[in-house]
Amino acid sequence: MYQYDAIDQQLVEERVAQFRDQTRRFLNNELPELEFLPLRLQNGLYVQRHAPMLRIAIPYGMLSSTQLRRLADISCRYDRSYGHFSTRQNLQLNWPKLEDVPDILAELAEVQMHAVQTSGNCIRNTTTDQYAGVISDEVVDPRPYCELIRQWSTFHPEFAFLPRKFKIAVNATESADRAATQVHDIGLHIKKNEAGNIGFKVIVGGGLGRTPMIGVTISEFIAREDILTYLDAIIRVYNQNGDRKNKYKARIKILVKALGIEDFRSRVDAEWAHLKGKEGTVPTSEFDRLANFFSEPAYEALSDQPDTLTSKLADSAGFARWYERNTFAHKKAGYRIVTLSLKKAGQAPGDATAEQMQKAADLADKYSLGELRVTHEQNLVLADVRQDQLAELWDAAKEAGFATPTLGLLTDMICCPGGDFCALANAKSIPIAAQIQDTFNDLDYLHDLGEIDLNISGCMNACGHHHVGNLGILGVDKKGEEFYQVSIGGASGHDASIGKIIGPSFAEEEISYVLQQILDVYVNNRFEDERFIDTYRRLGIKPYKEAAYAKAN
Amino acid sequence: MPKLIKNGEIIDNPFTWLQDAEQTATAEHIVPVQKWLSEKDSIGEVAGVWLDAGEGVECLEGVDLSQFKVIGVNFPAFADGRGFSYARLLKERLNYQGEIRALGNFIPDQLGYLLRVGFTSFDFPESIDLEKALALHSPFTVAYQGDVHDPRPIFLRR
Repeated sequence: MYQYDAIDQQLVEERVAQFRDQTRRFLNNELPELEFLPLRLQNGLYVQRHAPMLRIAIPYGMLSSTQLRRLADISCRYDRSYGHFSTRQNLQLNWPKLEDVPDILAELAEVQMHAVQTSGNCIRNTTTDQYAGVISDEVVDPRPYCELIRQWSTFHPEFAFLPRKFKIAVNATESADRAATQVHDIGLHIKKNEAGNIGFKVIVGGGLGRTPMIGVTISEFIAREDILTYLDAIIRVYNQNGDRKNKYKARIKILVKALGIEDFRSRVDAEWAHLKGKEGTVPTSEFDRLANFFSEPAYEALSDQPDTLTSKLADSAGFARWYERNTFAHKKAGYRIVTLSLKKAGQAPGDATAEQMQKAADLADKYSLGELRVTHEQNLVLADVRQDQLAELWDAAKEAGFATPTLGLLTDMICCPGGDFCALANAKSIPIAAQIQDTFNDLDYLHDLGEIDLNISGCMNACGHHHVGNLGILGVDKKGEEFYQVSIGGASGHDASIGKIIGPSFAEEEISYVLQQILDVYVNNRFEDERFIDTYRRLGIKPYKEAAYAKAN
Repeated sequence: MPKLIKNGEIIDNPFTWLQDAEQTATAEHIVPVQKWLSEKDSIGEVAGVWLDAGEGVECLEGVDLSQFKVIGVNFPAFADGRGFSYARLLKERLNYQGEIRALGNFIPDQLGYLLRVGFTSFDFPESIDLEKALALHSPFTVAYQGDVHDPRPIFLRR
């Protein structure tokens, strides 16, 4: 993975010093609350319901075991010994003290980490496919490109005070879009043109929140050397023309929609004409330098399906189930990608205790070359596990609570922290996740249902991505009481779509019942091997709606 | 005389930010750009013009900017970052070589970014302690991006 040089290190250390001074001035009443607010947000520091929340950047989800141990250690000494992995592949601490944050940042800087631009109206942590670099069908490893974008966006002097937050995601394979690029402010698809040159299809104006939208293609191909000047052009147009009066209309998606993609594109092209070919053009040497950090490790010459694996698969139904769901094909023979699930019943989705973080770091050292990835679906990934060590890893993962064999299934939910923590939330989301975990706990049933994305948000800001869940649950406030709106038909992959709300909201205790009615419609109508989303697309919303409200009639 | 920060020093401010477009302009005034554009044949000598957020720099295309001692950019609120692009475009697109002055509600903690996009002077509200603001002048000694002082991004400098 990327390693800081003296310049990178100096930058994060100077950032720590800057934030220490800002915090000191705030605590001494020299820096007004209103001015400190965006400054602390640009360093990932929110003030939440009970305490501040610090969001630590995990660039494109890559973590070394050393870094994860440091996060575990920080969570013990400065927080309540756990953390929450977010959909932007970051880690949130829910109980740090404001005055401790500079020290936390200093400790993060020692392991080449920071909290830069994890919030605020600036360019946020760039995300990508958690399987980057280890799958066989990607155009090229997207991580060097993500690092390029990380550096370009970090303390960009022109774009620190945008109309609203700005999120970029990168995907590099035709077979899937695990980074939900079409619902980002900018989605980048790495591709090769007919001449075999690497570049990007650029999608703009996607997003969730109050006005969910699927992004539109602004360019079919931008050569890789031009990507930063092109991004500068897009964001410069946005910075000058995005809505500054109403924060609910300030995302780039609203501007793109208002102007229309043709007008928006011509403005970007006009801007780009001045920048293209100038100093911002990335030389091949830089791509090579960055690619070197992600070069292939020294894999051993192994064969697929070693005896130790096939015999374990035959002997243990539990192992076979875990293997089928929670592991994924690796590009190298004899290796497998393993997801450590953070969706164990009884634990909030995406949460990991300090002990679990330590354990995951140990597993990474022992089984996966000392590296991990955080996924957009709020799990952890060991990317390079030898197939002949999978049985051993499964035992260790079970012990640590990482082996819930439900990846991609109904209970592998995305869930925001919700009203239990977040000051913005209209309703709690974690108890809904817990209710669903408790109700739908039969593994045979879950496996029979197959792949279903269930996403839960505690408010319309949509941190839990409810719009793009096959099933979405949104917490709403009705005269001071918490209710939940259910939507159906969302998707976040290459077939991205926004879910439709099925009707009036439900009380908390009705959720499991309503989901069961919807799932029954699916089970009773599906063709063999037809996924939930495909059955829905074939049938339309009507039968689901009728079933969900049948009780009331 | 009121003070401002210019080129890293606290100095006297010889110009006046004229906000009322109805007022008659003098050679000490930084006047609203639209006022100047509509009165330019009769307005006489002014110190310079200022742009409000939302006005953009396009209105100055084709104007001989060397006649201005200063071009101001107003920040109606410090979170309104349009001015960051304006300064950069004045310098890089319109090739303006003179003083670019930040006006309005920007804050001392923005100085580092403001300097990098081309601002050279800072007319803070009176409530700001300029000595303390000056200490925040350059929080970083390294940068990843090119800027108006050095257009080379880090990958051309490593």
